[in-house]
Amino acid sequence: MGPVELLHMSVFSQSFSPCGRFLAAGNNYGEIAVFSLSAALSPDASQASQKPILNFTAHDGPVFSLLSTDTHLLSAGNGEISAWSWAELIKKSTKAAWTRKPSYETSLEIPEINAMIINPKDNSLIVGGGDNNIHIMDMETGIFKSVLKGHTDYIHCLCFKEREEEILSGGEDGAVRIWDSRTNRPVHCIEVFKYEECARPQFGKWISCLATDSDWMLCGGGPSLSLWHLRSMSPTSVFPLPGCQREAVFYQDLIMSVGEGPHVSHCLHGGTVKAQIPCTPSSLNTLALNLKNTEHRVMTVGGSSHQIDVFTNFSYRAFSLSF
Amino acid sequence: MSSDAVKKRKPKVIRNEAGTPETKRGRAEGEQDVLVYNEEVELEGRDPQQDYMLYKDTCAALAKLMAEIQELKSGGAKVGSVEMEERRRQCSVHFITLKKLNRLAHMRLKKGRDQTHEAKQRVDVLHLQLQNLLYEVMHLQKEISKCLEFKSQHEEIELVSEEEFFQEAPAEISRPHVTRDDHHQLTLARLDWELEQRKRLAEQYKMSLARKEKIHKAIEQKREYLSSLQPGLQNIMQASLPVQECLSMPFEQMQKQAEVARHLPPPLYVLLVQAAAYGQACGKTHIFTLNKTLSASISGDVDEAKALSRPPEDSQDDESDSDAEEEQQNTKRRRASVGVQLDDKRKEMLRRHPLSLCVDLKCKDGSVLHLFFYYLMNLNILTVKTKVSTTTDLSGAVSAGELLNSESLLNCLYASDHGQETPNPTNRYQFDKVGITTFADYVSDLGHPYVWVQKLGGLQFSSDGAQVALSASHMERTMKLLQGRLQARLALHKQFSSLEHSIIPISGECQHLFPAKVVSGLTRWTMMSYQEFTELGFVQHVLKAGLLRETDLFFMAVVERGTARLLAAVVVNPRYPEVMPLFSLSLHWKGERSGRTEDNLRAMESEVNMFRAELQGPRPGLQLLTNQIQRLCVCLDVYLETESQVCDGSEGPKEFPREKMCLRTARGPSRLKPFKYNHPQGFFSHR
Repeated sequence: MGPVELLHMSVFSQSFSPCGRFLAAGNNYGEIAVFSLSAALSPDASQASQKPILNFTAHDGPVFSLLSTDTHLLSAGNGEISAWSWAELIKKSTKAAWTRKPSYETSLEIPEINAMIINPKDNSLIVGGGDNNIHIMDMETGIFKSVLKGHTDYIHCLCFKEREEEILSGGEDGAVRIWDSRTNRPVHCIEVFKYEECARPQFGKWISCLATDSDWMLCGGGPSLSLWHLRSMSPTSVFPLPGCQREAVFYQDLIMSVGEGPHVSHCLHGGTVKAQIPCTPSSLNTLALNLKNTEHRVMTVGGSSHQIDVFTNFSYRAFSLSF
Repeated sequence: MSSDAVKKRKPKVIRNEAGTPETKRGRAEGEQDVLVYNEEVELEGRDPQQDYMLYKDTCAALAKLMAEIQELKSGGAKVGSVEMEERRRQCSVHFITLKKLNRLAHMRLKKGRDQTHEAKQRVDVLHLQLQNLLYEVMHLQKEISKCLEFKSQHEEIELVSEEEFFQEAPAEISRPHVTRDDHHQLTLARLDWELEQRKRLAEQYKMSLARKEKIHKAIEQKREYLSSLQPGLQNIMQASLPVQECLSMPFEQMQKQAEVARHLPPPLYVLLVQAAAYGQACGKTHIFTLNKTLSASISGDVDEAKALSRPPEDSQDDESDSDAEEEQQNTKRRRASVGVQLDDKRKEMLRRHPLSLCVDLKCKDGSVLHLFFYYLMNLNILTVKTKVSTTTDLSGAVSAGELLNSESLLNCLYASDHGQETPNPTNRYQFDKVGITTFADYVSDLGHPYVWVQKLGGLQFSSDGAQVALSASHMERTMKLLQGRLQARLALHKQFSSLEHSIIPISGECQHLFPAKVVSGLTRWTMMSYQEFTELGFVQHVLKAGLLRETDLFFMAVVERGTARLLAAVVVNPRYPEVMPLFSLSLHWKGERSGRTEDNLRAMESEVNMFRAELQGPRPGLQLLTNQIQRLCVCLDVYLETESQVCDGSEGPKEFPREKMCLRTARGPSRLKPFKYNHPQGFFSHR
């Protein structure tokens, strides 16, 4: 990796290990780097501990999505999903456990996979990507059992509501679709750009981030980031953030989101922006919170830079990991 | 008891001594039978012990008589009475006895002394004799030992061993029948033999000397003859010059060059030898072609060089004289100012050797790179100056001014070899002494001290001495790099003159990289200075990543289409095309965006900056920059045409109608546009 390659690197995805001591990050060259959080957070951390312990090329295309199960790390490349055993990764072995491809209709261009989530109820993997469809794969057998069609443009993000067992998907076509995972049927379709409070026609209509917390839903992208009440299917608060948001999460009573612009925004449910914490990358693609491990409770963000900022106290950037 | 005076007839002489013996001198001294009273003779007959008893008796009688007299006196007898007189007479007799006894005692004593004395005398004489004898013995012993130690000169002569002697010497000298027994004779014989041998050898020696003289004379004669041939040979050489030129075997020239080369300082000599060798090795394919790719020649003042190598004794004398002179003068006039002195010292330190090396490197298209190598004597480094001569006239490219600038042409031939500082660490100390802070000030005068130049001259500053092996290993690589550098610069020069006319020159082999129709066009291509460049806002990320150096070349390209204006700041490393130029973009269209604020512009930057294998075109990759610029135009086209699509369309007619074929206009979380051109299908896709 020469300095020019590092200059043009973007980090698209992150995932913490099940034990919470390691962080995996995927970039636009198809590489996955595994960082040791315990080394980077220890008191005698040095420049070297901010470098990955393992860095390997996982896919041909960019790694847009990473997901951790209890034992494996799932990574999405150009139309394929690979699984890597965390135990093996920690031992620096880069052999994939398995690689599977959902069946695609078009063959001219391989569609990317932008989002992956796990349905814990029936242990299935839900992926959405460039072919406008949502594919559901059974984790045990590896068979793609169903396809949810409905979006007219590619899917940016996926979300799962555990209580109702519903899948939410947001796409480039500006629609947030809600699907029932048991019947695989569409339940609702919200076209966010049609709502005046949220719509920002100067940007576009795409939805690039989704998050749910019981009855609440966050969505944003071209339209402003807004908090929706799902029962009433209406936006309750709209956040006046200048750029387009790419990822947002609920954390305790805060909403944290990242997107265009070199900062992490902390917002309150009421619709006010509480703080904007500056970061190194000039725009951010991914935000991850390490809630599994109390010792290493950090937030990490990555974007248009080869560096991943680590926040130990969520109010300021502590240091950066570097590819 | 009375005195027994024995009269003895003593025919002999009367002893008269200093002692007290009373001797009656006879009336006739000379008569033989005179009667003498010799008490000495008497003395011999008396016994001392008896005399002693007599003495005691006499004393007792005397005492008794005295006592009787006393009695008589006290008894009232008259003085002079008969009894007293009788007794007085007896006392007197006793006194006389006593006196005699006394005399005898004295005589005995004297006799005893005389006897002792005589004995002593005798002993003394004997003792003296003994000593004399002892002395003589010692003397004789010394003489003997001296004789024994005597080394005859004959022992210093090395004689042949006995066996050899007996074998070699003729019989009349060796006389074995005599010498075998008699050592003395043997030695004499050997000496004789030695003498004879030496005489013989001396004769031989004289004869050899004479012969040697004769031969010497003969040699001298022949030498004279040879030297008389020299002028004749010179004439022949002169006459053969035209023949040499005709056959292109310039022996004379090479000889002259070799002659001058002897006066070159060692690093330049190494460089010359290596360059000549390399030139011969790779230049000619046919002996009749004179087109060498590399030719080396020496220029400069040979006499001065010779003067430098003269022994320094003369100069030392001069120095001491001049010192004395200077001291005298100092008392009379002011010394030159310190500044001038320092200046002189500096000049002295930076002095160049009078001879310099000129190497001409030819490239395939006929342009020549002239390299002038100089050796700085006191600093022990080599420097180089360059000049380019081309077959075609190079003009008309304003931005290309820096490309062939002789100051910067050879910058960074090897990475980070700027040639601004001297590579010799000891120079630092020398500079401190004369107050030179940086060598960079003198570089334009003296030439650049690049590290590869030192290596070509065999100077490596981690070890000492000029090493030929170092020079040889670097020569080929450096020459190739130099040729590559010249070609790259000339190619850039030509390209720049087109670019300034807003034409992007794309060769036929690279046409497949781009679609047939490219609407965006280059409107401006200018050069920038390092200062101006670093002040630009959208290049700060390159500065922070450490990819900018002062030695790089900086340019600004402006690509326009319609109302959109794309500014591209380009950093070209001197080692182009080994190092790809780096583009940073800023778009002025409906506001200002740069690669930092917008992901699509960042994607355009990476499309242009990263794909060397595609963009460099056919070897040697001199099309890199122009291909990059063309790709930039294509990307701008795609950007503008797809951008209008994304918006809601409520703004009115699109400024840029979609002409490029794309399968998808957005992909991935950052919704990137398709910038990759696929040939020959002609559509755009994502990477």
